[in-house]
Amino acid sequence: MPDIEQEEKSKSELEPGYLVICWNDPVNLMEYVTHVFQAVFGWNKTKAEHHMMQVHNQGKSVLTRESMEKAEHYVHQLQKYSLHATMERDE
Amino acid sequence: MKFIKTNKGKLSFQIDRREKALFFQVLKLYPLVPANHQQLSRAEAKPEDQELLEEALATQHKEHKRKLDAMLKAKSRFQANKQGYRFTLKDDQLEWLLQVLNDIRVGSWLLLGSPDGPAETFAALNDDTAPFFWALEVSGHFQMNLLAAATGGRTARAESPSAPESE
Repeated sequence: MPDIEQEEKSKSELEPGYLVICWNDPVNLMEYVTHVFQAVFGWNKTKAEHHMMQVHNQGKSVLTRESMEKAEHYVHQLQKYSLHATMERDE
Repeated sequence: MKFIKTNKGKLSFQIDRREKALFFQVLKLYPLVPANHQQLSRAEAKPEDQELLEEALATQHKEHKRKLDAMLKAKSRFQANKQGYRFTLKDDQLEWLLQVLNDIRVGSWLLLGSPDGPAETFAALNDDTAPFFWALEVSGHFQMNLLAAATGGRTARAESPSAPESE
């Protein structure tokens, strides 16, 4: 029984069921947020600016949908730049 | 501070004497954001995962502080000339310096009480909080200068025929 539970847990952690979200705040500069998205995800400026504007206008932007491990990695990277980012389960 | 050029992966800047003093003064405030400020998730986070995040951020603070102290002490980094000083940064140095400056900016904002907009910021100002307003503005000024260099460096690499495609 524990093996099955363990297997199910591992499977759920590997599935891309986690959203990496960046939340708006009044302190991070728009140019800086664009730069961080480019640096962390390797996006071009147009895509990075699109997500930055979503954060600015809508209060948040879903940046990517990943497995638990990868989502954690991206959240750590974004928070190293002091951005307000979290990972949330995609219900 | 003015971005001059990018050469062989190094970014060159010119800074005058007063601005250099200001740059050093604001950098000495690092770190200002507590490691437990960030949350891994708004909804669900295992305590051990949150702990891991805080440990990672605390380790980063230590490492950045070590690099920063070395940079502030290394006299050779800032070469004096008629207009002030010339200094160069590699890409990775630019990245950690941006992280350091943003930590100071966000930390100052937290110490001001996390004001939402200029009106709340000015309402929060008093003798105790005024230095944090100064740090918020000064760190932002230097961030914008470094970001201009990052954009310039990226453009230069894209225009170079031998540059590897990174985007």
